[in-house]
Amino acid sequence: MVKLKNKKIAEAEIPTSSMADIAFLLLLFFLVATVIDVDTGIGMTLPEYQENPDENIVPLSKERLAALLINENGDVLLNGDVIAIPQIRENLTERITQKIELPKNKKLVVSVKTDRKTNYNLYIQALDQVKAAYFQVREAYANTKFGKTSIEDLTEEESNEVKEKIPIIISIAEPEQIK
Amino acid sequence: MKFHKKRASTKQEIPTASMPDIVFMLLLFFMVTTTLREVDVLVQYTLPEAEAIEKIENKRLVSYVWVGRDERIQVNDTIVPLEEIRSIMYQKRVELPNVIVSFRVDRNSNMGVVTDIQQELRKADARRINYSARLSSQ
Repeated sequence: MVKLKNKKIAEAEIPTSSMADIAFLLLLFFLVATVIDVDTGIGMTLPEYQENPDENIVPLSKERLAALLINENGDVLLNGDVIAIPQIRENLTERITQKIELPKNKKLVVSVKTDRKTNYNLYIQALDQVKAAYFQVREAYANTKFGKTSIEDLTEEESNEVKEKIPIIISIAEPEQIK
Repeated sequence: MKFHKKRASTKQEIPTASMPDIVFMLLLFFMVTTTLREVDVLVQYTLPEAEAIEKIENKRLVSYVWVGRDERIQVNDTIVPLEEIRSIMYQKRVELPNVIVSFRVDRNSNMGVVTDIQQELRKADARRINYSARLSSQ
């Protein structure tokens, strides 16, 4: 009788302490395996499609227009003059700055035109310079007006003012008809 | 005589049984918030580099167009001919009015193909675009 009492019944429990380890392993796997790829790039808005682009041409004064042409040989022309890509920014910042206080319909319009055989990378480089010029002017404006070094620090109101004063107007020129 | 040390009768263990629950919560959080890359890219491309680039805040708005080295165009999961882009993009535009079409174009492509796609997008009225680029290393 005494002997029977001492006999222990084996416990039928699943060890739960290792569950945490298993879950952690899973967690780590997902942490490592997931790619949060944020898309970065140059944002643009295409012009509206027009059946006959020639009919609706609004002539722009020379004062407002910065015509950027990138031809198939890799030459970049700003208003007809050959220019090196890194110089575009400098050239444009000056012109954009001059027009900060002008009304909306007198701001600078950058028109970008390419040939069919223009290298895509070159186009992006040129576009990048144009964007950089605008950002530089915006930053400078934000700095003098609000004393903030980065556009991101601005409040919504201030940011709207900057955007209104220095709107980014980049027009992608109508492609020429293939003859 | 027996010497018994006086000990507190309560258990001194930290309950580990709820640990898995906590960790599973974390796991679930990460599983829900991360988006896995859903599409197989069928074309080969190297993105151009740029400095003045912006992040696209809302990933749900983005729809990609790939153009590979061999000038093949991929939309969604398949290689498509140029003429089909218009209807596909129109569909997307109807579903999502402010869709952003992101161009993932090989850096050595010609502008011709890009211009063609852009013209198709204009016809489909999907006019918000983005030229995907990496931040230049210097």
